[in-house]
Amino acid sequence: MATTSPSVERPRVVRSARWRRFTKGGGVELLIMVLGILAFWSFLSSVIPNPSRYLPAPLTVLFSSSDMLWKGLLPNYLGQTLFRLVLGSVLGLAIGIPFGILLGLNRTVSDIFYPILNFFQSISGIAILPIIVVWWGNSEKTVFTVILYTAMFPITFNVLAGVRSIPRIYVNMLRSLGASRLQVVRDVILPGAMPYIATGARLGIAFAWRAVIAGEMLVGKRGLGWMIFTAQDTDHTDEVILGMVMIGVIWILIDRFALRPIEADTIQRWGLVQR
Amino acid sequence: MNPVQSLSIAVQKLFGRQRLRRIILGSIPFIMLLSLWRMNTVNEWLPPVFIPPMASIIEAISILQDECTGIGGILTMNPGCLFTNHVLSSLGRVGLALILGLPFGIAFGVLAGMNRRVSNVLEPIGVFANAISGIAWVPLAIVWFGIGAMTTLFILLNTIFWLVFFNTLLGVRSVPSVLENSVLTLGGSRWNIITQVYFPGALPSIVTGIRMSMGFGWRALIAAEMIGGDSGLGFMIFVSASEYKIEEVFLGVIVIALIWMFTDRSILVPIEKWTVQRWGMVWRPS
Repeated sequence: MATTSPSVERPRVVRSARWRRFTKGGGVELLIMVLGILAFWSFLSSVIPNPSRYLPAPLTVLFSSSDMLWKGLLPNYLGQTLFRLVLGSVLGLAIGIPFGILLGLNRTVSDIFYPILNFFQSISGIAILPIIVVWWGNSEKTVFTVILYTAMFPITFNVLAGVRSIPRIYVNMLRSLGASRLQVVRDVILPGAMPYIATGARLGIAFAWRAVIAGEMLVGKRGLGWMIFTAQDTDHTDEVILGMVMIGVIWILIDRFALRPIEADTIQRWGLVQR
Repeated sequence: MNPVQSLSIAVQKLFGRQRLRRIILGSIPFIMLLSLWRMNTVNEWLPPVFIPPMASIIEAISILQDECTGIGGILTMNPGCLFTNHVLSSLGRVGLALILGLPFGIAFGVLAGMNRRVSNVLEPIGVFANAISGIAWVPLAIVWFGIGAMTTLFILLNTIFWLVFFNTLLGVRSVPSVLENSVLTLGGSRWNIITQVYFPGALPSIVTGIRMSMGFGWRALIAAEMIGGDSGLGFMIFVSASEYKIEEVFLGVIVIALIWMFTDRSILVPIEKWTVQRWGMVWRPS
Protein backbone atom coordinates (compact mmCIF):
# COMPACT_ATOMS: atom_id res chain seq x y z
CA MET A 1 0.00 0.00 0.00
CA ALA A 2 1.54 3.23 -1.10
CA THR A 3 -0.61 5.71 0.79
CA THR A 4 -1.30 5.51 4.47
CA SER A 5 -3.03 8.22 6.38
CA PRO A 6 -1.07 9.91 9.21
CA SER A 7 -3.70 8.95 11.75
CA VAL A 8 -2.84 5.32 11.18
CA GLU A 9 0.87 5.97 11.05
CA ARG A 10 1.21 7.65 14.40
CA PRO A 11 0.41 4.86 16.83
CA ARG A 12 2.72 2.56 14.90
CA VAL A 13 5.60 4.98 15.46
CA VAL A 14 4.88 5.16 19.18
CA ARG A 15 4.77 1.42 19.45
CA SER A 16 8.01 0.99 17.59
CA ALA A 17 9.74 3.52 19.84
CA ARG A 18 8.58 1.67 22.90
CA TRP A 19 9.57 -1.59 21.26
CA ARG A 20 13.04 -0.24 20.50
CA ARG A 21 13.49 0.90 24.09
CA PHE A 22 12.37 -2.55 25.23
CA THR A 23 14.85 -4.35 22.99
CA LYS A 24 17.69 -1.91 23.69
CA GLY A 25 17.28 -2.42 27.42
CA GLY A 26 17.73 -6.16 26.89
CA GLY A 27 14.03 -6.88 27.17
CA VAL A 28 13.96 -9.66 24.60
CA GLU A 29 16.98 -11.39 26.09
CA LEU A 30 15.48 -11.07 29.55
CA LEU A 31 12.21 -12.57 28.35
CA ILE A 32 14.06 -15.47 26.74
CA MET A 33 16.13 -15.92 29.88
CA VAL A 34 13.10 -15.97 32.18
CA LEU A 35 11.28 -18.39 29.88
CA GLY A 36 14.42 -20.53 29.78
CA ILE A 37 14.64 -20.59 33.55
CA LEU A 38 10.95 -21.52 33.79
CA ALA A 39 11.42 -24.26 31.16
CA PHE A 40 14.47 -25.62 32.97
CA TRP A 41 12.55 -25.51 36.25
CA SER A 42 9.62 -27.47 34.84
CA PHE A 43 12.00 -29.91 33.17
CA LEU A 44 13.78 -30.44 36.48
CA SER A 45 10.56 -30.97 38.37
CA SER A 46 9.38 -33.51 35.79
CA VAL A 47 12.63 -35.49 36.10
CA ILE A 48 13.16 -35.64 39.86
CA PRO A 49 11.22 -38.13 41.98
CA ASN A 50 8.44 -36.77 44.17
CA PRO A 51 8.32 -33.27 42.64
CA SER A 52 5.41 -32.09 44.76
CA ARG A 53 7.69 -32.33 47.78
CA TYR A 54 11.02 -31.13 46.41
CA LEU A 55 10.36 -28.87 43.44
CA PRO A 56 6.79 -28.41 42.16
CA ALA A 57 6.41 -27.27 38.56
CA PRO A 58 5.87 -23.54 37.92
CA LEU A 59 2.25 -24.13 36.94
CA THR A 60 1.53 -26.01 40.17
CA VAL A 61 2.96 -23.06 42.09
CA LEU A 62 0.79 -20.68 40.10
CA PHE A 63 -2.35 -22.73 40.68
CA SER A 64 -1.71 -22.99 44.41
CA SER A 65 -2.21 -19.23 44.55
CA SER A 66 -5.76 -19.48 43.21
CA ASP A 67 -6.76 -21.74 46.06
CA MET A 68 -5.32 -19.35 48.62
CA LEU A 69 -6.83 -16.36 46.85
CA TRP A 70 -10.22 -18.06 46.89
CA LYS A 71 -10.02 -18.54 50.64
CA GLY A 72 -8.83 -14.96 51.05
CA LEU A 73 -5.69 -16.04 52.85
CA LEU A 74 -3.16 -14.50 50.50
CA PRO A 75 -4.41 -10.89 50.67
CA ASN A 76 -4.75 -11.25 54.41
CA TYR A 77 -1.15 -12.41 54.89
CA LEU A 78 0.14 -9.86 52.45
CA GLY A 79 -1.71 -7.04 54.19
CA GLN A 80 -0.43 -8.04 57.62
CA THR A 81 3.18 -8.27 56.44
CA LEU A 82 3.02 -4.92 54.67
CA PHE A 83 1.34 -3.32 57.66
CA ARG A 84 4.16 -4.51 59.91
CA LEU A 85 6.79 -3.26 57.47
CA VAL A 86 5.20 0.15 57.04
CA LEU A 87 4.52 0.77 60.71
CA GLY A 88 7.97 -0.46 61.74
CA SER A 89 9.71 1.66 59.12
CA VAL A 90 7.70 4.77 59.91
CA LEU A 91 8.48 4.40 63.61
CA GLY A 92 12.12 3.74 62.76
CA LEU A 93 12.26 6.92 60.68
CA ALA A 94 10.45 8.93 63.34
CA ILE A 95 12.97 7.90 65.98
CA GLY A 96 16.09 7.58 63.84
CA ILE A 97 16.03 10.95 62.07
CA PRO A 98 15.72 13.23 65.15
CA PHE A 99 18.19 11.06 67.01
CA GLY A 100 20.72 11.20 64.19
CA ILE A 101 20.37 14.99 63.94
CA LEU A 102 20.79 15.41 67.69
CA LEU A 103 23.95 13.32 67.57
CA GLY A 104 25.29 15.17 64.57
CA LEU A 105 24.80 18.63 66.05
CA ASN A 106 27.37 18.27 68.78
CA ARG A 107 30.67 16.46 68.49
CA THR A 108 30.86 15.70 72.20
CA VAL A 109 27.41 14.14 72.19
CA SER A 110 28.21 12.03 69.17
CA ASP A 111 31.55 10.99 70.71
CA ILE A 112 29.65 9.84 73.79
CA PHE A 113 26.93 7.85 72.05
CA TYR A 114 28.63 6.60 68.88
CA PRO A 115 30.44 3.57 70.40
CA ILE A 116 27.40 2.26 72.27
CA LEU A 117 25.17 2.70 69.23
CA ASN A 118 27.75 0.87 67.18
CA PHE A 119 27.70 -1.95 69.70
CA PHE A 120 23.92 -2.25 69.60
CA GLN A 121 23.91 -2.01 65.85
CA SER A 122 26.23 -5.00 65.71
CA ILE A 123 23.57 -7.07 67.49
CA SER A 124 21.28 -7.76 64.61
CA GLY A 125 17.60 -7.36 65.36
CA ILE A 126 16.97 -11.03 64.85
CA ALA A 127 19.57 -11.93 67.50
CA ILE A 128 17.77 -10.01 70.24
CA LEU A 129 14.50 -11.73 69.29
CA PRO A 130 15.00 -14.62 71.76
CA ILE A 131 15.48 -12.12 74.61
CA ILE A 132 12.36 -10.20 73.67
CA VAL A 133 10.40 -13.42 73.33
CA VAL A 134 11.34 -14.25 76.91
CA TRP A 135 10.24 -10.76 78.01
CA TRP A 136 6.98 -10.38 76.16
CA GLY A 137 6.16 -13.81 74.77
CA ASN A 138 5.05 -14.48 71.20
CA SER A 139 3.14 -11.23 70.86
CA GLU A 140 2.74 -8.64 68.16
CA LYS A 141 4.81 -6.30 70.33
CA THR A 142 7.80 -8.63 69.97
CA VAL A 143 7.73 -8.54 66.17
CA PHE A 144 7.39 -4.76 66.08
CA THR A 145 10.26 -4.30 68.50
CA VAL A 146 12.52 -6.40 66.30
CA ILE A 147 11.51 -4.53 63.14
CA LEU A 148 11.93 -1.15 64.81
CA TYR A 149 15.30 -2.14 66.24
CA THR A 150 16.51 -3.34 62.85
CA ALA A 151 15.31 -0.30 60.91
CA MET A 152 16.43 2.35 63.38
CA PHE A 153 20.21 1.94 63.39
CA PRO A 154 21.04 2.25 59.69
CA ILE A 155 18.81 5.33 59.55
CA THR A 156 20.44 6.93 62.61
CA PHE A 157 23.97 6.30 61.33
CA ASN A 158 23.21 7.66 57.89
CA VAL A 159 21.56 10.78 59.27
CA LEU A 160 24.59 11.31 61.48
CA ALA A 161 26.90 10.98 58.48
CA GLY A 162 24.66 13.36 56.55
CA VAL A 163 24.74 16.04 59.24
CA ARG A 164 28.54 15.68 59.44
CA SER A 165 28.83 16.14 55.67
CA ILE A 166 27.37 19.65 55.76
CA PRO A 167 30.09 22.30 55.41
CA ARG A 168 30.53 24.34 58.59
CA ILE A 169 30.42 27.61 56.63
CA TYR A 170 26.71 27.26 55.92
CA VAL A 171 25.89 26.87 59.58
CA ASN A 172 28.23 29.72 60.51
CA MET A 173 26.75 31.96 57.86
CA LEU A 174 23.21 31.50 59.10
CA ARG A 175 24.35 31.96 62.67
CA SER A 176 26.05 35.26 61.84
CA LEU A 177 22.94 36.41 60.02
CA GLY A 178 21.14 35.95 63.31
CA ALA A 179 19.34 32.64 62.83
CA SER A 180 18.36 30.66 65.88
CA ARG A 181 19.50 27.09 66.44
CA LEU A 182 16.08 25.79 65.40
CA GLN A 183 16.24 27.76 62.16
CA VAL A 184 19.69 26.37 61.43
CA VAL A 185 18.37 22.85 61.89
CA ARG A 186 15.34 23.53 59.73
CA ASP A 187 17.03 25.42 56.91
CA VAL A 188 20.53 23.95 56.75
CA ILE A 189 20.89 20.68 58.60
CA LEU A 190 17.70 18.97 57.49
CA PRO A 191 17.94 19.82 53.77
CA GLY A 192 21.69 19.20 53.74
CA ALA A 193 21.32 15.78 55.29
CA MET A 194 18.38 14.87 53.03
CA PRO A 195 20.26 12.66 50.53
CA TYR A 196 21.84 10.69 53.36
CA ILE A 197 18.47 10.38 55.09
CA ALA A 198 16.97 8.91 51.92
CA THR A 199 19.84 6.45 51.53
CA GLY A 200 19.60 5.46 55.18
CA ALA A 201 15.86 4.99 54.93
CA ARG A 202 16.29 2.66 51.97
CA LEU A 203 18.92 0.59 53.74
CA GLY A 204 16.93 0.52 56.97
CA ILE A 205 13.76 -0.60 55.22
CA ALA A 206 15.72 -3.28 53.35
CA PHE A 207 16.94 -4.67 56.67
CA ALA A 208 13.45 -4.30 58.11
CA TRP A 209 11.90 -6.32 55.29
CA ARG A 210 14.16 -9.26 56.11
CA ALA A 211 13.42 -8.80 59.80
CA VAL A 212 9.67 -8.90 59.14
CA ILE A 213 9.96 -12.23 57.33
CA ALA A 214 12.27 -13.76 59.94
CA GLY A 215 10.24 -12.38 62.84
CA GLU A 216 7.02 -13.82 61.47
CA MET A 217 8.66 -17.21 61.08
CA LEU A 218 10.11 -17.28 64.57
CA VAL A 219 7.30 -15.66 66.53
CA GLY A 220 4.47 -17.24 64.54
CA LYS A 221 2.43 -14.21 63.54
CA ARG A 222 0.34 -14.47 60.40
CA GLY A 223 2.02 -13.05 57.31
CA LEU A 224 4.12 -14.05 54.33
CA GLY A 225 7.00 -15.35 56.45
CA TRP A 226 4.60 -17.36 58.55
CA MET A 227 2.92 -18.63 55.38
CA ILE A 228 6.09 -20.12 53.87
CA PHE A 229 7.16 -21.50 57.23
CA THR A 230 3.90 -23.34 57.97
CA ALA A 231 3.61 -24.45 54.34
CA GLN A 232 6.97 -26.15 54.73
CA ASP A 233 5.74 -27.78 57.93
CA THR A 234 2.68 -29.20 56.18
CA ASP A 235 4.62 -30.25 53.05
CA HIS A 236 3.06 -27.66 50.74
CA THR A 237 6.24 -26.85 48.85
CA ASP A 238 4.27 -25.13 46.09
CA GLU A 239 3.05 -22.57 48.63
CA VAL A 240 6.61 -22.14 49.92
CA ILE A 241 7.86 -21.22 46.45
CA LEU A 242 4.83 -19.03 45.83
CA GLY A 243 5.57 -17.16 49.05
CA MET A 244 9.25 -16.77 48.16
CA VAL A 245 8.47 -15.38 44.73
CA MET A 246 5.96 -12.99 46.28
CA ILE A 247 8.51 -11.83 48.86
CA GLY A 248 10.97 -11.13 46.06
CA VAL A 249 8.49 -9.44 43.76
CA ILE A 250 7.01 -7.25 46.50
CA TRP A 251 10.43 -6.09 47.61
CA ILE A 252 11.36 -5.22 44.03
CA LEU A 253 8.10 -3.31 43.64
CA ILE A 254 8.64 -1.40 46.90
CA ASP A 255 12.26 -0.70 46.01
CA ARG A 256 11.71 0.26 42.39
CA PHE A 257 8.53 2.27 42.67
CA ALA A 258 8.78 3.82 46.12
CA LEU A 259 12.23 3.89 47.66
CA ARG A 260 14.51 4.34 44.66
CA PRO A 261 12.52 7.19 43.04
CA ILE A 262 12.34 8.96 46.39
CA GLU A 263 16.07 8.56 46.86
CA ALA A 264 16.86 9.72 43.33
CA ASP A 265 14.54 12.72 43.63
CA THR A 266 16.00 13.69 46.99
CA ILE A 267 19.54 13.49 45.69
CA GLN A 268 18.58 15.50 42.63
CA ARG A 269 16.75 18.11 44.65
CA TRP A 270 18.96 18.41 47.73
CA GLY A 271 22.18 16.63 46.90
CA LEU A 272 25.54 18.04 45.89
CA VAL A 273 25.02 21.26 47.79
CA GLN A 274 28.74 21.78 48.06
CA ARG A 275 30.87 22.38 45.03
CA MET B 1 55.76 18.67 87.88
CA ASN B 2 54.23 16.18 90.22
CA PRO B 3 54.02 12.48 89.28
CA VAL B 4 50.27 12.67 88.53
CA GLN B 5 50.79 15.35 85.91
CA SER B 6 53.73 13.58 84.28
CA LEU B 7 51.75 10.34 84.22
CA SER B 8 48.81 12.05 82.54
CA ILE B 9 51.12 13.58 79.94
CA ALA B 10 52.70 10.20 79.32
CA VAL B 11 49.27 8.60 78.82
CA GLN B 12 48.21 11.39 76.49
CA LYS B 13 51.39 10.95 74.47
CA LEU B 14 50.83 7.21 74.28
CA PHE B 15 47.25 7.26 73.03
CA GLY B 16 46.97 10.71 71.51
CA ARG B 17 44.84 13.45 73.02
CA GLN B 18 41.86 13.23 70.71
CA ARG B 19 41.75 9.46 70.81
CA LEU B 20 41.96 9.44 74.58
CA ARG B 21 39.09 11.91 74.76
CA ARG B 22 37.00 9.76 72.45
CA ILE B 23 37.74 6.58 74.39
CA ILE B 24 36.81 8.19 77.71
CA LEU B 25 33.65 9.84 76.38
CA GLY B 26 32.60 6.68 74.56
CA SER B 27 32.99 4.53 77.62
CA ILE B 28 30.57 6.67 79.68
CA PRO B 29 27.33 5.06 78.38
CA PHE B 30 28.83 1.60 78.70
CA ILE B 31 29.76 2.25 82.32
CA MET B 32 26.30 3.69 83.00
CA LEU B 33 24.60 0.75 81.34
CA LEU B 34 26.68 -1.76 83.26
CA SER B 35 26.06 0.00 86.58
CA LEU B 36 22.33 0.13 85.81
CA TRP B 37 22.48 -3.56 85.14
CA ARG B 38 24.30 -4.12 88.42
CA MET B 39 21.78 -1.96 90.30
CA ASN B 40 18.98 -3.96 88.75
CA THR B 41 20.54 -7.14 90.08
CA VAL B 42 20.96 -5.70 93.56
CA ASN B 43 17.57 -4.00 93.84
CA GLU B 44 15.67 -6.58 91.77
CA TRP B 45 13.53 -4.14 89.79
CA LEU B 46 13.24 -6.72 87.07
CA PRO B 47 13.50 -10.38 88.09
CA PRO B 48 16.60 -12.38 87.06
CA VAL B 49 14.44 -14.35 84.64
CA PHE B 50 14.26 -11.20 82.49
CA ILE B 51 17.67 -9.69 83.15
CA PRO B 52 20.22 -12.11 84.54
CA PRO B 53 22.95 -10.96 86.92
CA MET B 54 26.28 -10.27 85.24
CA ALA B 55 28.12 -12.93 87.19
CA SER B 56 25.78 -15.63 85.92
CA ILE B 57 26.73 -14.84 82.33
CA ILE B 58 30.38 -15.55 83.08
CA GLU B 59 29.20 -18.60 84.97
CA ALA B 60 27.24 -19.73 81.92
CA ILE B 61 30.48 -20.03 79.95
CA SER B 62 31.99 -22.34 82.52
CA ILE B 63 28.78 -24.38 82.74
CA LEU B 64 28.64 -24.78 78.97
CA GLN B 65 32.37 -25.58 78.85
CA ASP B 66 32.07 -27.96 81.80
CA GLU B 67 33.31 -31.17 80.20
CA CYS B 68 35.86 -29.50 78.01
CA THR B 69 39.43 -30.80 78.01
CA GLY B 70 41.61 -27.73 77.52
CA ILE B 71 42.59 -26.05 74.30
CA GLY B 72 42.96 -29.36 72.46
CA GLY B 73 39.33 -30.12 73.17
CA ILE B 74 38.27 -26.70 71.92
CA LEU B 75 40.17 -27.03 68.68
CA THR B 76 38.99 -30.57 67.93
CA MET B 77 35.43 -29.49 68.77
CA ASN B 78 35.05 -32.01 71.55
CA PRO B 79 31.30 -32.45 72.25
CA GLY B 80 31.91 -31.34 75.84
CA CYS B 81 32.89 -27.80 74.82
CA LEU B 82 29.38 -26.59 74.02
CA PHE B 83 30.03 -22.86 73.89
CA THR B 84 33.19 -22.81 71.79
CA ASN B 85 31.69 -25.43 69.49
CA HIS B 86 28.78 -23.14 68.70
CA VAL B 87 31.09 -20.17 68.13
CA LEU B 88 33.47 -22.19 65.97
CA SER B 89 30.72 -23.75 63.88
CA SER B 90 29.24 -20.32 63.13
CA LEU B 91 32.65 -18.90 62.24
CA GLY B 92 33.59 -21.97 60.24
CA ARG B 93 30.42 -21.64 58.21
CA VAL B 94 31.18 -18.00 57.46
CA GLY B 95 34.73 -18.94 56.42
CA LEU B 96 33.54 -21.79 54.19
CA ALA B 97 30.88 -19.64 52.59
CA LEU B 98 33.46 -16.93 51.91
CA ILE B 99 35.91 -19.39 50.36
CA LEU B 100 33.18 -20.83 48.14
CA GLY B 101 31.13 -17.72 47.49
CA LEU B 102 33.67 -14.96 46.87
CA PRO B 103 35.64 -16.48 43.95
CA PHE B 104 32.49 -17.61 42.19
CA GLY B 105 30.67 -14.35 42.84
CA ILE B 106 33.57 -12.24 41.57
CA ALA B 107 34.32 -14.50 38.59
CA PHE B 108 30.72 -14.66 37.41
CA GLY B 109 30.28 -10.97 38.06
CA VAL B 110 33.27 -10.05 35.89
CA LEU B 111 32.18 -12.44 33.15
CA ALA B 112 28.64 -11.08 33.18
CA GLY B 113 29.80 -7.47 33.31
CA MET B 114 32.09 -7.81 30.31
CA ASN B 115 29.27 -8.01 27.84
CA ARG B 116 26.64 -5.31 27.98
CA ARG B 117 23.90 -7.48 26.49
CA VAL B 118 24.56 -10.27 28.97
CA SER B 119 24.76 -7.88 31.88
CA ASN B 120 21.48 -6.24 30.90
CA VAL B 121 19.82 -9.63 31.12
CA LEU B 122 21.51 -10.74 34.30
CA GLU B 123 21.01 -7.51 36.23
CA PRO B 124 17.25 -7.96 36.85
CA ILE B 125 17.87 -11.57 37.78
CA GLY B 126 20.47 -10.42 40.29
CA VAL B 127 18.01 -7.88 41.68
CA PHE B 128 15.38 -10.57 42.09
CA ALA B 129 17.81 -13.04 43.68
CA ASN B 130 18.97 -10.38 46.13
CA ALA B 131 15.39 -9.54 47.00
CA ILE B 132 14.66 -13.09 48.15
CA SER B 133 18.14 -13.94 49.35
CA GLY B 134 18.64 -14.76 52.97
CA ILE B 135 15.90 -15.81 55.26
CA ALA B 136 13.15 -16.44 52.70
CA TRP B 137 15.06 -19.46 51.38
CA VAL B 138 15.07 -21.20 54.77
CA PRO B 139 11.82 -23.23 54.37
CA LEU B 140 12.79 -24.46 50.92
CA ALA B 141 16.32 -25.23 52.11
CA ILE B 142 14.86 -27.29 54.95
CA VAL B 143 12.82 -29.27 52.43
CA TRP B 144 15.88 -29.88 50.27
CA PHE B 145 18.63 -30.44 52.81
CA GLY B 146 16.80 -31.14 56.07
CA ILE B 147 17.58 -29.34 59.31
CA GLY B 148 21.29 -29.00 59.82
CA ALA B 149 24.57 -27.55 58.66
CA MET B 150 23.80 -27.80 54.95
CA THR B 151 20.74 -25.57 55.26
CA THR B 152 22.55 -22.80 57.11
CA LEU B 153 25.52 -23.00 54.74
CA PHE B 154 23.17 -22.77 51.77
CA ILE B 155 21.47 -19.66 53.16
CA LEU B 156 24.78 -17.96 53.84
CA LEU B 157 26.24 -18.91 50.46
CA ASN B 158 23.11 -17.71 48.69
CA THR B 159 23.27 -14.32 50.40
CA ILE B 160 27.00 -13.83 49.84
CA PHE B 161 27.12 -15.04 46.24
CA TRP B 162 24.33 -12.86 44.88
CA LEU B 163 25.44 -9.65 46.61
CA VAL B 164 29.06 -10.08 45.50
CA PHE B 165 27.97 -11.06 42.00
CA PHE B 166 25.67 -8.08 41.68
CA ASN B 167 28.17 -5.54 42.98
CA THR B 168 30.95 -6.92 40.79
CA LEU B 169 28.65 -6.71 37.79
CA LEU B 170 27.83 -3.08 38.52
CA GLY B 171 31.47 -2.29 39.20
CA VAL B 172 32.71 -3.81 35.95
CA ARG B 173 30.02 -2.01 34.01
CA SER B 174 30.99 1.31 35.51
CA VAL B 175 34.54 1.04 34.13
CA PRO B 176 34.74 3.51 31.20
CA SER B 177 35.11 1.69 27.91
CA VAL B 178 37.80 4.18 26.86
CA LEU B 179 40.19 2.51 29.28
CA GLU B 180 39.31 -0.89 27.87
CA ASN B 181 39.81 0.31 24.29
CA SER B 182 43.13 1.91 25.09
CA VAL B 183 44.51 -1.35 26.47
CA LEU B 184 43.19 -3.15 23.39
CA THR B 185 44.84 -0.56 21.13
CA LEU B 186 48.16 -1.07 22.88
CA GLY B 187 47.92 -4.74 22.06
CA GLY B 188 46.45 -6.13 25.29
CA SER B 189 44.69 -9.47 25.22
CA ARG B 190 41.24 -10.24 26.66
CA TRP B 191 42.91 -11.63 29.74
CA ASN B 192 44.96 -8.44 30.14
CA ILE B 193 41.78 -6.42 30.10
CA ILE B 194 40.23 -8.56 32.79
CA THR B 195 43.21 -8.40 35.12
CA GLN B 196 44.39 -4.84 34.34
CA VAL B 197 41.17 -2.97 33.66
CA TYR B 198 38.00 -4.67 34.83
CA PHE B 199 39.21 -6.11 38.08
CA PRO B 200 41.03 -3.03 39.45
CA GLY B 201 38.29 -0.76 38.17
CA ALA B 202 35.58 -2.80 39.85
CA LEU B 203 37.57 -3.38 43.04
CA PRO B 204 35.97 -0.60 45.17
CA SER B 205 32.55 -1.88 44.20
CA ILE B 206 33.58 -5.49 44.84
CA VAL B 207 34.90 -4.69 48.29
CA THR B 208 31.73 -2.75 49.14
CA GLY B 209 29.80 -5.80 47.97
CA ILE B 210 31.84 -8.07 50.20
CA ARG B 211 31.23 -5.83 53.22
CA MET B 212 27.50 -5.66 52.48
CA SER B 213 27.29 -9.39 51.91
CA MET B 214 28.99 -10.03 55.24
CA GLY B 215 26.52 -7.71 56.98
CA PHE B 216 23.47 -9.32 55.42
CA GLY B 217 25.04 -12.78 55.57
CA TRP B 218 25.89 -12.72 59.26
CA ARG B 219 22.33 -11.65 60.10
CA ALA B 220 20.87 -14.27 57.78
CA LEU B 221 23.14 -16.93 59.27
CA ILE B 222 21.96 -16.21 62.82
CA ALA B 223 18.32 -16.35 61.73
CA ALA B 224 18.89 -19.49 59.66
CA GLU B 225 20.57 -21.23 62.57
CA MET B 226 17.56 -20.39 64.74
CA ILE B 227 15.05 -21.84 62.30
CA GLY B 228 16.87 -24.56 60.41
CA GLY B 229 20.14 -25.25 62.19
CA ASP B 230 21.43 -27.73 64.71
CA SER B 231 24.53 -25.84 65.83
CA GLY B 232 25.94 -22.33 65.92
CA LEU B 233 25.34 -19.20 67.97
CA GLY B 234 21.85 -18.58 66.60
CA PHE B 235 20.84 -22.12 67.47
CA MET B 236 22.34 -21.72 70.93
CA ILE B 237 20.43 -18.55 71.83
CA PHE B 238 17.18 -19.88 70.39
CA VAL B 239 17.32 -23.14 72.34
CA SER B 240 18.42 -21.36 75.52
CA ALA B 241 15.51 -18.94 75.20
CA SER B 242 13.01 -21.77 74.87
CA GLU B 243 14.49 -23.30 78.03
CA TYR B 244 14.37 -19.90 79.78
CA LYS B 245 18.15 -19.91 80.33
CA ILE B 246 18.33 -16.18 79.77
CA GLU B 247 21.97 -15.88 80.86
CA GLU B 248 23.01 -18.11 77.95
CA VAL B 249 20.94 -15.98 75.58
CA PHE B 250 22.65 -12.80 76.81
CA LEU B 251 26.04 -14.48 76.46
CA GLY B 252 25.28 -15.52 72.90
CA VAL B 253 23.94 -12.11 71.91
CA ILE B 254 26.99 -10.32 73.32
CA VAL B 255 29.33 -12.73 71.53
CA ILE B 256 27.43 -12.22 68.25
CA ALA B 257 27.81 -8.45 68.62
CA LEU B 258 31.50 -8.64 69.51
CA ILE B 259 32.32 -10.95 66.60
CA TRP B 260 30.56 -8.70 64.12
CA MET B 261 32.06 -5.52 65.59
CA PHE B 262 35.55 -6.97 65.38
CA THR B 263 35.09 -8.27 61.82
CA ASP B 264 33.59 -5.05 60.56
CA ARG B 265 35.84 -2.54 62.28
CA SER B 266 39.20 -4.23 62.13
CA ILE B 267 38.92 -6.19 58.89
CA LEU B 268 36.23 -5.00 56.51
CA VAL B 269 36.29 -1.23 57.04
CA PRO B 270 40.10 -0.89 56.73
CA ILE B 271 40.10 -3.02 53.58
CA GLU B 272 37.30 -0.95 52.09
CA LYS B 273 39.04 2.33 52.96
CA TRP B 274 42.33 1.13 51.54
CA THR B 275 40.74 -0.10 48.33
CA VAL B 276 38.81 3.09 47.75
CA GLN B 277 41.94 5.11 48.43
CA ARG B 278 44.14 3.00 46.19
CA TRP B 279 41.78 2.05 43.37
CA GLY B 280 38.78 4.30 43.75
CA MET B 281 37.90 7.40 41.79
CA VAL B 282 38.95 5.99 38.45
CA TRP B 283 39.55 8.85 36.07
CA ARG B 284 36.49 9.34 33.93
CA PRO B 285 36.81 10.89 30.49
CA SER B 286 34.41 13.77 30.20
